[in-house]
Amino acid sequence: MYSSSIKTLDELKEFLYRAMQLEHATIPPYLTALYSIKPGVNQDATQVLRVIVVEEMLHLTIAANILNAIGGTPDLVRPDFVARYPAALPDGETDFKVGIQAFSREALATFLKIERPAQRPEHLVGKGLIYRKTPPDITALASHPSHEDLHFFSIGEFYSAIAEGIKYLEAEAHGAGTTIFTGDRSRQITSEYYYSGGGELFPVTDLKSALEAIDLIIEQGEGDGGGIYDDDDHELAHYYRFEELVKGRYYQKGDQPGHPTGPELQVDWEGAYPIKKNLKVGDILEGSELRGAAIAFNTRYGEFLQLLTRAYNGQPTLLLEAVPMMFEFRNMILELIRNPLPQHPGKNGSPTYEIPGAIKQPAATRQAEVNA
Amino acid sequence: MLFPLESAIKADAKTVAASGDYDIVIVGSGISGAIIAKQAAEAGKRVLILEAGTGANSTLSGYDNLLTTFYSAASKDNQSPFPLNANAAMPRSPQLRKLRAGETDSSTYIVQSGPYVSDTTYTRIFGGTTMHWEAKTPRLLRSDFKTRTIFGQGLDWPLSFEEVEDDYRLAEREIGVSADVEDQQYLGQTFPDDYVFPMRGLPLSYLDQQVNKGIEGTSVELYDKTYPLKVRPYPQGRNSIPNPAYDGGKGYRPIGAVDTHQVEEGGRCQGNTNCVPLCPVQARYHSGKTLAKAFAVNGKSGERLVELLPQAVASKVNIDPDSGKVHSLEVKIYKDPASPAHETITVKGKVFVLAAGAIETARLMLASGLRSTSGLVGRNLMDHAYLLNWALMPEICGTMRGTSSTGGIVDLRDGPFRERQAAFAIDIHNDGWGWATGAPTSDLLKLVDDRNLYGADLRRGMIDQVSRQLLLAFMIEVMPVESNRIAVDPQYTDALGNMRPILSFTVPEYTMKGAAYGRQFARTVFTRLGAQDHTQYDPSDFGYVAYEGQGYAIRGGNHLAGTHIMGTTKTNSVVDKNQRSWDHENLYLVGGGSMPTIGTANVTLTLAAMCFRSGRDILKSLH
Repeated sequence: MYSSSIKTLDELKEFLYRAMQLEHATIPPYLTALYSIKPGVNQDATQVLRVIVVEEMLHLTIAANILNAIGGTPDLVRPDFVARYPAALPDGETDFKVGIQAFSREALATFLKIERPAQRPEHLVGKGLIYRKTPPDITALASHPSHEDLHFFSIGEFYSAIAEGIKYLEAEAHGAGTTIFTGDRSRQITSEYYYSGGGELFPVTDLKSALEAIDLIIEQGEGDGGGIYDDDDHELAHYYRFEELVKGRYYQKGDQPGHPTGPELQVDWEGAYPIKKNLKVGDILEGSELRGAAIAFNTRYGEFLQLLTRAYNGQPTLLLEAVPMMFEFRNMILELIRNPLPQHPGKNGSPTYEIPGAIKQPAATRQAEVNA
Repeated sequence: MLFPLESAIKADAKTVAASGDYDIVIVGSGISGAIIAKQAAEAGKRVLILEAGTGANSTLSGYDNLLTTFYSAASKDNQSPFPLNANAAMPRSPQLRKLRAGETDSSTYIVQSGPYVSDTTYTRIFGGTTMHWEAKTPRLLRSDFKTRTIFGQGLDWPLSFEEVEDDYRLAEREIGVSADVEDQQYLGQTFPDDYVFPMRGLPLSYLDQQVNKGIEGTSVELYDKTYPLKVRPYPQGRNSIPNPAYDGGKGYRPIGAVDTHQVEEGGRCQGNTNCVPLCPVQARYHSGKTLAKAFAVNGKSGERLVELLPQAVASKVNIDPDSGKVHSLEVKIYKDPASPAHETITVKGKVFVLAAGAIETARLMLASGLRSTSGLVGRNLMDHAYLLNWALMPEICGTMRGTSSTGGIVDLRDGPFRERQAAFAIDIHNDGWGWATGAPTSDLLKLVDDRNLYGADLRRGMIDQVSRQLLLAFMIEVMPVESNRIAVDPQYTDALGNMRPILSFTVPEYTMKGAAYGRQFARTVFTRLGAQDHTQYDPSDFGYVAYEGQGYAIRGGNHLAGTHIMGTTKTNSVVDKNQRSWDHENLYLVGGGSMPTIGTANVTLTLAAMCFRSGRDILKSLH
């Protein structure tokens, strides 16, 4: 049995870095699926994907707020920050791969797995982390930062470990007459910089707000305690929003999980551009315009992550500059997705999210960094 | 913002006809009706809203269908998102033509009786004209409430600014106004020390900033008084950054798109240029947001208090001859916008509110034979007169970026000159020359047809041509004149047999004097900017008006007012200061029509404020 408990502040910071990495990792697949939808069709799917991707950005920012609250330094330009797709996510005793692909039944099945509420079966309760070898070229999301082959049973468990770690360390600090929440308050990103009907962005300054922040991330994803809504009984969790598309019907208040009874909705599963799954720049014909566009997008995306890093490190107003950049992405992604991939008849291009400088290093090197 | 399922709010014509227990029956689902419905529901009253349009745009997919219609329309005018519906027709400006002397043109929904032909519009669908409004929300100035006393022009209001001020704040909350107090403190406008707008001001566009660079620090002289110039941001009814200091530090929660399921869209203005006529993400306020709150209110036994009956065209106000009170409304219910087939029902209630806009409310009253004791129903019609001036800036200024108007020159909204000529506010149009010339389509056609450009050269050509365009739209004050009016005549009817509005209008000399000065002012500004003036007014233009040897093309402003003005007695006005009819004690005529003057403020914020006042009066009358 492997323990997941967090015993030092440095470990907690590393977990929170992993949390930011995980929250970010859902954005490229969701964003690509969203923009792969052809104009004029799948209005409902477009709205569902849009709201979820916006809330993932909220989760990323909330994770940064927690990290800042304990005096950490959010870093979205660290070489391993952006996952290499397909990336691995825990799915109970095994894992599954999250890739970059067009909106489709297959993509939806993956998205449901990402957001699925997971409970350990009886024989695994209290059994600690799960040992599973990850191939060296795969990003294993939500794994233990210092034990590459130790995995959480689910994303929920990963966050529970963080919550427990925060409680433990704060109690320990409290005993010594101090606190772990020593971060500079001005580094917190507040509601002026994010709003949508879904969720609030609030400053994390103490144990209570830190635990609320973690609850928000978990509940917006998988719902609260087996229900379809978050704890305000207000907003439908991501898992159930995706399920609406699969079931072809909206949920409404009072519905039980798996049984939406709201208005019908239409999904055209063919209504997306046929992009090549998990495309890499290296797969695109050298010298082609499409390859140039793919590289240009990756460069711009890297600059976007640099901007976010500065915003999360004491310059929140820079987030306003990130907004027009998101429009730029939309245009750049559409250009890639709506054009044919040279030498691959019937397939279109795709953003590859291979960020310059972000190359996965062998696990051993990373281990050394963590220990250092 | 969540909206109840259509089945839960949509009333059935038969049930409505059989029902006698509505506290309030409201004609029109625009901002006036929505505010009163919400207030009434919160006080536990039963409300029926009659809407002439189909109501299809109350759902997000219905709203998005309007966007699709707009995107595919060849002409992007204010009404282009809204499908033709002969049963609830509305004016559409591209159909207009110039009149010969004494001629009447009945080929369009509003019969143009001249001599001036107005392209003014309003929108007869769910949400009313807030579905296409520009969402600029300036308040009237203090002096605007008493222009007769101060300048010897127009009429005084029976209300002072101080009496309306609290309701301005309620209206700013309801609409969700984005502005910074420090930008709005000009020409004597003051705010309590602790007041902030619900959301922070929206930024000036790059074009606004370039114009400001050229004029800030300069001034103009008018009748020996100096007016310093600068570009100021307008307060706007579109979502910005919520101000944490609002409401004593409680902050403000913006309202985005309304729909039957959660889309969480419309949280913030994205600067889309097609904000007018229709915001693609519903960051711009429309009255559906207020109605969503009204529909969400339940009565004691859980029943919905506000019902909506769409495809219901109020056709006649029936008066009880003994009491003079409104007895009922005759309402035509059509089954299909494509067919005039309809049934007629009678709707009863305790209080009736006509909130159909200045033209339709007056039209309905006149069609019911109700001219009022003063005889002023339909008269004193006002609308801002717009004079467009356009030029090319010396450098690329990013035209076509941002919502249609973010800033303007407002220093000439007030001054002693108003004894002699109209005041104006100037909008800087971020959408280039579109309003004046049909840009950018007209530019594209020119580059392709005349210069045979294509590919990269065409793209470059478009940028060179369009992104230097500057359009200054002068919104000029128009004072009430009794002969400017709406009338009806049985010879002009619509598909349902309802009499159509007939518009007679002469642009007052006071306004034309302001226009002539405005033209001169524009030339001065263009010179200071180094911009090349391209303004020209075509004598064959439908809105062409000659004044002192010069001609000007005057455009309507869609700021309709005055057709049932408020005043101090039943002989000088149609309604009292609570917008209650002097003649019929259970009838309220609400909206721009009640305004005795319109100054240089877009009318929506003020009429919204007045509806809060009326709502309270209605509730008092029901007790």
